[in-house]
Amino acid sequence: MKFKIFRSTEDRNGGAGADPTQTPRMGGQVLPAADADGAGDSASGRVQDAPVDGPPALPPTTTAPRALHAGGGPVGQTKICARDVSVFYGDKQALFDVSLDIPDKTVTALIGPSGCGKSTFLRTMNRMNDTIPHARVTGRIEMDGEDINAKSVDPVLLRARVGMVFQKPNPFPKSIYENVAYGPRIHGLATSKGELDEIVQASLKRAGLWEEVADRLHSPGTGLSGGQQQRLVIARAIAVEPEVILMDEPCSALDPIATAKIEELIDELRERYCIVIVTHSMAQAARVSQRTAFFHLGRLVETGDTEEIFTNPRERRTLDYITGRFG
Amino acid sequence: MTEATNGHDRTRAERLRSGLKRRYAKERRFRAYGLLAIAVAVGFLVLLLGRIVEQGHTAFYTHSVTVPVYMDPARIDRGYPQGTNFEQLVAEQQLRRLGIADDATGSKATAMRGLFSSELKFVAAGRIARQPGLVGQTVTLAAPLSDDADLYFKGKITRATPAEQRRLSNEQIAWLDRMRDEGQVSAHFNAGLFTRGDSTEPELAGVLGAVIGSALMLLVTALIAIPLGVGAALYLEEFAPRNRLTDLIEVNINNLAAVPSIIYGLLGLALFINWMHLPRASPLVGGLVLALMALPTIIIATRSSLKAVPPSIREAALAMGASKTQTVFQHTLPLAMPGVMTGAIISMAHALGETAPLLLIGMISFVPGLPHSLVEPTGALPSLVYIWENASERAFHERTAAAILVLLAFMIVMNAAAIVLRRRFERRW
Repeated sequence: MKFKIFRSTEDRNGGAGADPTQTPRMGGQVLPAADADGAGDSASGRVQDAPVDGPPALPPTTTAPRALHAGGGPVGQTKICARDVSVFYGDKQALFDVSLDIPDKTVTALIGPSGCGKSTFLRTMNRMNDTIPHARVTGRIEMDGEDINAKSVDPVLLRARVGMVFQKPNPFPKSIYENVAYGPRIHGLATSKGELDEIVQASLKRAGLWEEVADRLHSPGTGLSGGQQQRLVIARAIAVEPEVILMDEPCSALDPIATAKIEELIDELRERYCIVIVTHSMAQAARVSQRTAFFHLGRLVETGDTEEIFTNPRERRTLDYITGRFG
Repeated sequence: MTEATNGHDRTRAERLRSGLKRRYAKERRFRAYGLLAIAVAVGFLVLLLGRIVEQGHTAFYTHSVTVPVYMDPARIDRGYPQGTNFEQLVAEQQLRRLGIADDATGSKATAMRGLFSSELKFVAAGRIARQPGLVGQTVTLAAPLSDDADLYFKGKITRATPAEQRRLSNEQIAWLDRMRDEGQVSAHFNAGLFTRGDSTEPELAGVLGAVIGSALMLLVTALIAIPLGVGAALYLEEFAPRNRLTDLIEVNINNLAAVPSIIYGLLGLALFINWMHLPRASPLVGGLVLALMALPTIIIATRSSLKAVPPSIREAALAMGASKTQTVFQHTLPLAMPGVMTGAIISMAHALGETAPLLLIGMISFVPGLPHSLVEPTGALPSLVYIWENASERAFHERTAAAILVLLAFMIVMNAAAIVLRRRFERRW
């Protein structure tokens, strides 16, 4: 099925999107900005003279697994599979036909300039867009082959499987213990106080916060430093044993040392979870992710192995963005 | 840039400096206006409170008289001591003790009786009823003086007061002086003011009936208005879709908050008394009317404090897989609680002082004694103030001021409770 969907894209690209001879040429040349804009504005981008370069379309699917294996990172099966996902806020379309495979046990970074729809896309994966009035999601998002937007899927249960970490640390104004215990409690995951204590301890340990807070579990979570708060929030998210963790610019409010700790943590968590991270920092994407997807103006421009995206992008806009020409 | 101190730069610096001077002057002026505004407000408050305290402080003490009474067996029916005219008995004995001969019509005894409160009769009858053996003996009785005699000892009536403005004759004043000189009169704290209900006799009138009435009314108001108001606000703010209908509801809630309270009184009269046939002048009806009045305020206060809860907390809870209801009740509402409490208690304090709606549901009538249930006619503090202010007895004037002080104290206690509750619920995020 996956193959079929991607074949249409391939057709559009003339099946030449991954022509290895094109990429070096692209990297070396600087095209006029107007051209790049034109490519961004028109959905198909067929006006461009070089058919080999291809429109801002999806890369051929076949490259995805290949690139990942080439990257050498520990990569699992496709966990989330998004097809033609569009999001509308009222009349305004924020996301245009995004199709993306997100592998398990891997960190996938979503990069792009502000307002490009990467956070919007992230929020479709745990249906947080449901909470925004007038927001509408079309297309299909499958998690382990199951349509998460189906009527039979309860968003509450979905969010127990897909945890989320926000840009600003947002611990509940309760104690550290209560913050971590909240999820297991509302989902009924612990049957006894002892079990709950264990979950809290294990989650805090896995989030690398245990050493720092073990002696003050019952002091307010809001009293921690920004970086500690963000790790507390991550502990809170993993306490319910999710399968996927979504992170929306988790380090943008933190100093470099706290950021380094979080990145280290993300790298450790990768062994157990499927992690999707939205980031403004190209360096961060390069450091923590194995897969990268570049969004621009609500469209997915390019996706692939992180190393490849950063060293050898197929798309001109990707190159311009990662080299700091815009965004 | 370092050696660029040319003419252009100098004028620029001057302009900046003169502008700065203007800006600081503006700030100083604004601060002065602020201080002035506060001074005026504080001045008015001091004036108001000072006037009330000045008028009312005398109501908190009172004078009573201690008289030896010979329980004349000829005049007391042992089987029915309550029927005895103790006032006449005491007055006659008092006259005799002072060595004053009465005239044929007994007018001096009547004048002497006027110095004692009618309470004397109940004090005496109570003693006899408890100890029938006292008949035939001399008993020392302590009873309040009449309101006029009390006013004389408080210095509010003097011999210099024009005769048509006082109800004490010079002769009565002379007797009072003699009684005081003989040590029969004592001043003490007016406990009756806080332990009795309303009475037509000022010296026997107290605020307790009205305080209980007001408290019962507020209880009804709080039990109805707070859950309804908070529930409505929660639904409107957290669950209701944003559309024309909810906009209309919002506008009308704001309008309702501005409707004059007497309109609510009319509504209560028509709805609760004429249509539902609830008992007139009862705390139940009063509480219902005040609840209608307090609802818009509570809804508005609750909504604004719900709005003030940071959306990040809602998002955090939702992303953890909390349902909408769990998010609202476990996170949003607890965080909004200080604001909700403040709104609720301010509207309760407002309801406590509300008088106009009470006039229309009959709570303005004279109700002696203390209320015992929600469905019997009672008074309320503001209506008591209104009744006493309109009373003809001069002694009610100081009691009016005292009742106002009690009302203010009630409100201060409520507002203090609001502050304590807010501190307690306040959490940082």
